[in-house]
Amino acid sequence: MANKILEVKNLVKYFPIKKGVLKRIVGWVKAVDDISFEIYEGETVGLVGESGCGKTTTALTILRLEEPTKGQVLFEGRDILKNKKGEMRKERKNMQIIFQDPYSSLNPRMKIKDIIAEGIITHNIISGRKKYKRVGELLELVGILPEYMDRFPHEFSGGQRQRIGIARALALEPKIIMCDEAVSALDVSIRSQIINLLKDLQVKFNLTYLFVAHDLSVIKYISDRIVVMYLGKIVEIAEKHELFNNTMHPYTRALISAVPVPNPDYQKERIILQGDVPSPVDPPKGCRFHPRCAKAKKICSEIEPELVEVKKGHFVACHPTDK
Amino acid sequence: MNRILKKLFSNATSLVGIILLIFFIIIAIFAPAITPPLSDDPYQVPRMSWDVDPQPPGSPMSDNIREVYEFMEKDVKWEKAICGTAEGGYDIFYGLIWGTRTAFKIGIITVLISVIIGLILGSISAYFGGWIDEILMRITDIFLSFPFLVAAMVLTTVLGRGLDKIMIALISFGWMGYARLIRGSILYTKEETYVMAAKALGVNDAKIIWKHLLPNTIFPVMVQGSMNIGSMVITAAALSFLGVGAPVGYADWGQMVSFARNWIIGSPGHAGQYWYAVFYPGIFIVLFVLSWNLIGDTLRDILDPRLRGEL
Amino acid sequence: MDNQKKVLLEVKDLKTYFFTEEGVVKAVDGVGFKVNQGETLGIVGESGCGKSVTAFSIMRLLDYPGKTVGGEIIFKEKDILKKSEAEMREIRGKEMAMIFQEPMTALNPVLTIGFQVSEALRMHYNINKKEAIKKAVKLLAKVGIPAPEQRVNEYPHQLSGGMRQRAMIAMALSCDPILLIADEPTTALDVTIQAQILELMKSLLKDFNGSLIMITHDLGVIAEIADRIAVMYAGKIVEYADKRTIFYNPSHPYTFGLLTSIPRLDIEMKRLNVIPGIVPNPLHFPSGCKFNTRCTFTTEKCKEKEPALIELGEGHLVRCWHADKVIEEARKVFKRSME
Repeated sequence: MANKILEVKNLVKYFPIKKGVLKRIVGWVKAVDDISFEIYEGETVGLVGESGCGKTTTALTILRLEEPTKGQVLFEGRDILKNKKGEMRKERKNMQIIFQDPYSSLNPRMKIKDIIAEGIITHNIISGRKKYKRVGELLELVGILPEYMDRFPHEFSGGQRQRIGIARALALEPKIIMCDEAVSALDVSIRSQIINLLKDLQVKFNLTYLFVAHDLSVIKYISDRIVVMYLGKIVEIAEKHELFNNTMHPYTRALISAVPVPNPDYQKERIILQGDVPSPVDPPKGCRFHPRCAKAKKICSEIEPELVEVKKGHFVACHPTDK
Repeated sequence: MNRILKKLFSNATSLVGIILLIFFIIIAIFAPAITPPLSDDPYQVPRMSWDVDPQPPGSPMSDNIREVYEFMEKDVKWEKAICGTAEGGYDIFYGLIWGTRTAFKIGIITVLISVIIGLILGSISAYFGGWIDEILMRITDIFLSFPFLVAAMVLTTVLGRGLDKIMIALISFGWMGYARLIRGSILYTKEETYVMAAKALGVNDAKIIWKHLLPNTIFPVMVQGSMNIGSMVITAAALSFLGVGAPVGYADWGQMVSFARNWIIGSPGHAGQYWYAVFYPGIFIVLFVLSWNLIGDTLRDILDPRLRGEL
Repeated sequence: MDNQKKVLLEVKDLKTYFFTEEGVVKAVDGVGFKVNQGETLGIVGESGCGKSVTAFSIMRLLDYPGKTVGGEIIFKEKDILKKSEAEMREIRGKEMAMIFQEPMTALNPVLTIGFQVSEALRMHYNINKKEAIKKAVKLLAKVGIPAPEQRVNEYPHQLSGGMRQRAMIAMALSCDPILLIADEPTTALDVTIQAQILELMKSLLKDFNGSLIMITHDLGVIAEIADRIAVMYAGKIVEYADKRTIFYNPSHPYTFGLLTSIPRLDIEMKRLNVIPGIVPNPLHFPSGCKFNTRCTFTTEKCKEKEPALIELGEGHLVRCWHADKVIEEARKVFKRSME
């Protein structure tokens, strides 16, 4: 039984909406609204949902790149939300992130060797000239010739820049890495290169991933367990095969059916959701999904369903319907 | 960097600017050789005669003056006032040559210090935001609400005459533009993903500002600064023209022009008789400012599309 | 039945080049395909392959420094490359319409939805403003926008991404064009919204029996909506066949690579195939076959001579010296995974 490496408890992140000259708060964007889940050492948890569901905010809030409004984030049992600035900075060595946009995530005026070495320097991992030897090793690990370390980001392609971002994260020897839409901005033929690289590195260094994405096909391929979010809430958590073979939440079902499959004969459930994804500023009362749910009942518009473990390892937030 | 230099040299306008600038640099460096000083303070413009009205170009040094210099055991190296003399017999040519050094001093020092002040205040304001930003920006607004020339004038009147006083006045009312500029740039840049990436690595705030924010935002400030070197010189000249600023007889182009103030129109029947008193210092000011503007303009054109982050 | 087979659009050897400071970019270099009445052609490729430029060339919406330098575009039996700009304006919006990728930038933010949807109507038909708005309301309803009478007076920023895309479809269909070109119409949308839009497009196509050219990099979308598929790489078509052939019997290494390197919901994959390398810089294309630097089937011949399109079967064209090897490999892989 693997250890719990990260536990998120009742995490909340609201963004204030300010209007007027005096910048008064007129409302809140409820980006993440009381979510809880666990991540075990060595696994890949896929966090999936559409725009506005709060998945990226969740990843950033866990790392305190956005300050959470409420809740707890326990890393190896320690609540990192209680850390002061200095302690948090030290803690960052264990938790790293790979960003979505390969073009804006690297400082255009820094050589890539300095970009990768920055973490090493900040945490005093290796001192002196030896650190560039390490940079060379890291570049090799991610598939870039070490001779290129004196070049600038604009001299590399999107896929290569993403590899540099991965090397930067690895330089700190982290235990867990958030992959925030790490392949979404890449060309289709490059994605598999990076996905395979991430998988190989995970095995090599016993890494744990929280893989945030909107592409369910990628999530299915890379994850062990999957967390489905909708409008700031978690609607379903399950091990990968369980989620697809025994889908319980209507939104998850709709999401799976909406994914286009490169197979002309593929038969799938035709569930076309009505309407748009509502705004996280004023989410619907009760179950947030109820206005678009074909199975909605009266109770769904009044009471918010709890996330309940219906089967071992399979959690759903839905009022029991006739199954 | 190399690409920028190449572009600077290939563009016709910037080439003119560079040639002019080199011309001025040479004059400034070789000033002691071109016109050796005739008093202890090299910036004291020597007089060629005791005449009140300006003397035309080519006028020889008057004998009484020469005797004074020989008495002071100064080596008089030249005979004629090549560009004529200004009111009170000051040698215009000498003023032009040593005035070049003054111009560089004023231009570069005021811009440099203004930029540094602006950078510090602007980057702190933008990075920390909140009430720090509010306070610093209100202070900036207050300074901005003073009309520049009037404020500089008042300050120099209060502080007294002297080159350093001019510079203090120019700096005190010149840093705001840079602060605003860098603040805007940093507000934008700090949202860039690579800044968040640095935070995720655990880099502290000071290093983030120094290594990530400033290098990516400093170019517009540099361009603005280089264009302002010229305008600082003009403003200093204006202050001198208005009678505040450089002490009497100081080698400063503005001073030279101010000496011509009463003689611009000329004497009755001879309009423009004393053209040289205005023309020579005036053309030096114009060409100096022009050179910086041309270079700054080209720099801006080169750097504009590259401002998106690529070199 | 005969009507269905009528060729609506035929592109022959289309060449569109961009004359830039750094050199000539051959964005589209000899592309040809046919679109029959009532049919959907899918053009598949990644960024830089020339698919969008092909669309703009057909609509003749190219901007400097791009220029169509060769080929024919035969629409309704006339070569539209020979038409004047005035004549093209008659065709655009009325007989041929386009939907773009980013609904926010394709819609003018300062004009109402009603104005923009009815713009083409007012241009091509002699109707007054009131009539046009009435028609616009009907169109908005047809594309599934709720409360269209209200929406007609709203501005693009007041609509969601999905709604805006529907409005764009309404705009494109307003004059009942016979050919619709959609350039990555759903790429910027959430997947559940994408499903809605694809359903809408399929039902509208059935209604007006028009033809669609669907441009995308998403093979899943293509599988859902296209009848025939053209795969593009580096400005050329590398494979051209009907849907089932492309998916079950691919014969170009690039097609095969794409199909095996994308994660998919229907097949459990142990490991994703990888297409090594990167898309080549159009200013420095490799010699010989442009895909040879990334191809696992490549030989010396591939580096020297660029293959021409050869006909493998009825309506199945491929640009590869080793198509037979690819077919063999594909059969092995797909057989295994289908089991």
